[in-house]
Amino acid sequence: MPKITLDGKTLEVPAGTTVLEAAQAAGVYIPRYCYHPALSVSGNCRMCLVEVEKSPKLLTACSTQCAEGMVVSTASDKVKAARRDVLEFLLINHPLDCPICDQAGECGLQDYYMEYSRAQSRFSQEDKVLRQKRRALGPHLMLDNERCILCTRCVRFCSEVTKTAELEVMERADHSFIDLKAGKSLDNDYSLNIADLCPVGAWTSRDFRFKARVWFLKKAPTVCLGCATGCLAEAHHNEGEVFRLMPRPNAETNTWLCDRGRMTYKALRAGDRLTKGFIKNGLIDLEPALREAATRIDEAKGAAAVLGSPWLSVEDNAALALLAAAMKTEHFCFDFKFETGIKDGILINKDPSPNAAGAALVKAGKGGLGMEEFRARLNSGAIKLVVAEARAAALLKEELKASGARLIAFATNRADIPAGAYATLPYASYFEVPGTFINYQGLKRAVEPAVAAPEGVKPLWEVLNKLAAYSGASLRLDSAADAMKGMA
Amino acid sequence: MAFVTEEFKAKAEKLCAKYPRRDAALIPLLQELQKESGYVAEEAMDELARFLGLPYSRVKAVVTFYTMFNREPAGKYHLQVCRNISCHMAGAPGLLALLREKLGIAEGETTKDGQFTLSAVECLGACGAAPVMQVNEEYFERLDEAKLDALLEDLRHGRLRARGL
Repeated sequence: MPKITLDGKTLEVPAGTTVLEAAQAAGVYIPRYCYHPALSVSGNCRMCLVEVEKSPKLLTACSTQCAEGMVVSTASDKVKAARRDVLEFLLINHPLDCPICDQAGECGLQDYYMEYSRAQSRFSQEDKVLRQKRRALGPHLMLDNERCILCTRCVRFCSEVTKTAELEVMERADHSFIDLKAGKSLDNDYSLNIADLCPVGAWTSRDFRFKARVWFLKKAPTVCLGCATGCLAEAHHNEGEVFRLMPRPNAETNTWLCDRGRMTYKALRAGDRLTKGFIKNGLIDLEPALREAATRIDEAKGAAAVLGSPWLSVEDNAALALLAAAMKTEHFCFDFKFETGIKDGILINKDPSPNAAGAALVKAGKGGLGMEEFRARLNSGAIKLVVAEARAAALLKEELKASGARLIAFATNRADIPAGAYATLPYASYFEVPGTFINYQGLKRAVEPAVAAPEGVKPLWEVLNKLAAYSGASLRLDSAADAMKGMA
Repeated sequence: MAFVTEEFKAKAEKLCAKYPRRDAALIPLLQELQKESGYVAEEAMDELARFLGLPYSRVKAVVTFYTMFNREPAGKYHLQVCRNISCHMAGAPGLLALLREKLGIAEGETTKDGQFTLSAVECLGACGAAPVMQVNEEYFERLDEAKLDALLEDLRHGRLRARGL
């Protein structure tokens, strides 16, 4: 455990810790471009230079390991001058097109210039080496080589994380640039992380660019519901609209977020978003739709069934269990078993649903049939009507079709509704209401609402509450958490 | 495989065996490919990448980094003018301008008759004799316009030989 002195403070750090890591742990921020905690150390940007006593030259904090007795200064005049000079170098060929650059607000060059430099450049605008301006590289990304400072984070991400190694620095010196094979597209499943990684405006997300100014965005902690991995994420939103999903790095599951997961927020504003009920093929207001659904449920009596869903929160599954109790049916099921595990060695799970474990929790508390038994009863004709969330119902679409049982489905988007559903009721997405999800590792994760649901769209527990009321029962639910009463 | 032939592979395996890691043979193998066809073609990079188990981008990055690798067939004489600091200060820009004018081509181009290709290259390691130009494998040092004219005259007659310094 070497002891070092950093800006006058004595620190004891584990052997092998770099100066940058030690400083970070002590709350001292050292500016950096090429360093990234999840990537290998490259040491090329020179932004993290610090002064170490007895060393004739400044050293890069990212690649220098702490040694016993080291005396480090991160704020000496020499260091400050070095930062100014490094920035001047990095900006030599930078086009300074900030007014038309969408990185503004989260640009390393802008931020560090204001923080560490504010110096006039000695290189004239006319001498700049021009490079290729924006071009789309792959389905999600735009590359502007002229803004690039060649930190190689993107290159290292592709070779170390996705192991696809598409990117490299081509050519040399002032005419070098990032590129991939001519005609190829950068379409690995994690490409959008590159837009996050890029400290400047070289890589930008085609989905996000020019949609919002980042300083207006508010951040709501959420969980990616794209699969059972349940990555922690952050929804960036403003004025009732979600603009992007970013990872919330954590030790348990994720540093990154996959492209498909990032795009899940698109369903919120998709053209097929349901804001009204749907009976057979016609749109209908929520109240008459609820009344119609309740009538059908009452008609079916004991032959009505309730199916939980691994796409719903624990609370909403519990509310479904309460509905089953109110309907006095024995046909209800919260049993979903998928093969789990990381499919690609990075993040994507074999289980496509975010909450099979949460449904299992409800099964443990409220009982219910096993999936095989539920299937068998559906096949035998004992079940004449099924109340279910759309994607869970889709798991049984063959059985539903064969048995002719009526399906009362809950969906956020039309695309989710299985063919032949009798009635569909809209409910609020988990970007709009809170909920708890349990990922494949058994970690309980809370989703917090980022935006309000479209007018007239209610959280699922509230839809269920009303549905029960129309058939003369009461679930006594005033919030999502109410559904959890009596459950461990 | 058009470039990495069975014959080439046999040679390459021997080269690879000289290094602790296979991919360390990348540069000598690229030189070998260039020797055979005068340049390193796109498909050659692809084939070599597969042969060495390297990503294509890595091979391409190395080829584009070193100015000694030609990515297109060069003319009979490849005039490579050093553009780095010593040569630059000793008159390389003027030399390049003269060549552009005399040959009627820009850097990276080849004359229509296929005789000359002009390139500006990185340091040739002969700073003491700047400005320097490499023609194919030969060095021509301490160049000025008179020497350049004489050299071009020689080359036009098919004589490539280094003159005394």
